Amino acid sequence: MILIIGYGNTLRGDDGVGCHIADCLSESLTNPDVEILSRHQLTPEMVEPISRADLVIFVDADSEGMPGEYKSYRIVPAGDMSSFTHQTNPASLLAASKELYGTYPDAMMFSVVGNCFDYGEVLSTAVANAVPQVIRKIERLVEAEMTSHA
Amino acid sequence: MAQQIMIDPVTRIEGHAKITLYLDDSGSVENAEFHVTQVRGFEKFVEGRPFHEMPSLMARICGICPVSHLMASAKACDELLAVSIPPTAKSLRRIMNMAQIVQSHALSFFYLSAPDLLLGMDSDPAVRNIFGVAQSHPLLAKDGVRMRQIGQQIIEILGGKRIHPGWVVAGGVSERLTAEKQDRIAALLPDGQAIAQRTLEWYKGALENYKEEIATFANFPTLFMSLVTPDNKLEFYDGILRIVDSKGKILSDCDQPDHHLDNIGEAVEPFSYLKSPYYMPLGYPDGIYRVGPLARLNIVEQCGTPLADAELTQFRNVDRQSSFHYHYARLIEILYCMEQIGQLLEEPDILSDRVRAYAAPNQSEGIGTSEAPRGTLMHHYQIDRNGLITHANLIIATGHNNLAMNRGILQVAKHFVKGNDLSEGMLNRVEAVIRTYDPCLSCSTHAIGKMALQIQLVEPDGTVVNELRR
Repeated sequence: MILIIGYGNTLRGDDGVGCHIADCLSESLTNPDVEILSRHQLTPEMVEPISRADLVIFVDADSEGMPGEYKSYRIVPAGDMSSFTHQTNPASLLAASKELYGTYPDAMMFSVVGNCFDYGEVLSTAVANAVPQVIRKIERLVEAEMTSHA
Repeated sequence: MAQQIMIDPVTRIEGHAKITLYLDDSGSVENAEFHVTQVRGFEKFVEGRPFHEMPSLMARICGICPVSHLMASAKACDELLAVSIPPTAKSLRRIMNMAQIVQSHALSFFYLSAPDLLLGMDSDPAVRNIFGVAQSHPLLAKDGVRMRQIGQQIIEILGGKRIHPGWVVAGGVSERLTAEKQDRIAALLPDGQAIAQRTLEWYKGALENYKEEIATFANFPTLFMSLVTPDNKLEFYDGILRIVDSKGKILSDCDQPDHHLDNIGEAVEPFSYLKSPYYMPLGYPDGIYRVGPLARLNIVEQCGTPLADAELTQFRNVDRQSSFHYHYARLIEILYCMEQIGQLLEEPDILSDRVRAYAAPNQSEGIGTSEAPRGTLMHHYQIDRNGLITHANLIIATGHNNLAMNRGILQVAKHFVKGNDLSEGMLNRVEAVIRTYDPCLSCSTHAIGKMALQIQLVEPDGTVVNELRR
């Protein structure tokens, strides 16, 4: 199973880009082996579906870099319990999966640098322009992963 | 020389706080202050907004208990409309409110307090966390994840999303329950019930280990306040607002929402943004009272479901003045919610499509009261002739408990902290007494939540001589 988790605050402009991308992927990726979550924030109970996944793709906004710039990188388990309460981070979730369920999946982060995090439900132009490209990259990754498991 | 100890920030709570302990010349604790150091001011910035926006705006106060604020806010808006919402809508709101209580109690018990309970108050703080619990008690840690997941999933099934669902609206709910959703919720309940039962069995067996904490964790007589049904059963959504004394004698019973605030004064202390509500007939600070799971179980005669009632009978054998037993009460309430949600799902009209009453504002003032996980939650709004908010006041569960938390910190500190021999375990107990109340400081001060703790030791002249930060 491939799990895609887009997260962020959709009321704070570009911070919601992860949710926006997850919502778009929900339309295009209809394979039942792909589970897509669009969430305000990461929460500890996500560790259970994460433990069942072969690959987890996190999608989030970033504040460092040129607006609209996007990058992807691998996430590995790292325990930081100070943040493991009502909100957490991808590395802690993977670490919790390892501790609780004895396994953790491969994990990738796709992040898009935001331009405006003020109140508002609209993405900035730079971020909106990047969204289709990020979606295509994630779709290709999912396709490759599904092929390799076929 | 008198000194002062400060715990800053307080960890494993929802929000940001610090504690100051004042020592006398002999190094014994003389006084304690619980400082809530954040403010966000929701009550002010909603002024001028249309009243129907209030449920979704108020839900933004908190990522832990948005549903609780939705409930109280929607009830206040129902009052502005002067409508009686359809019975099915009331039942559906009850289900969502209980799912909220389940997920929040699970977070409090399994994630925030289980490390102390399982690994020990004096254990290494580096492993005294949910990862440490996962290593030493993997089944209980997994149960914690699952229990919270069950509460969150029920909220999501009903509201469309787990955090900040917009399904609860003025006049009822926006969408009926389908048979498919009914089945999905019902399928979650047996697992949740089993987790609640086995956690209770473990916890009751472990109580022997905490005798000293039970004796000293805010163990003193206070009043208690909560909603209760007319036949004295557990009630989270509606009913009578009851205040009893420490022996259970009823001091006040109020079934009119517009009178709910009549007995409650709000004092302000210079060292905290968190207000200190008190029972006005006894004055300040003698009108100290507690709300939340312990208060609710101390007030009711029965829970109203078979398994929870059996547990309540056993609960009555413990020292119910001790705030340590908030943990125990929380587990019983989780069990009750699993049973009660099952009963509500079987109501004959639960799938009815009559789930919302429509009206324009008919009153200029509305008060909504419900039980949040941490206790009684009150939203009070006034609107102008255009339906715009002119005044909003929220009295939050954590605020109700503020006086008791302060007094509890002092009791624990007097017992465990000696100025000349500070240890991490002592300080952890000072934090742990706060955790029994599961305070949500984001709500209570309407501030952005960050968990942290600081203890500071200060001499009478104000010099900080020792400090612990986490």
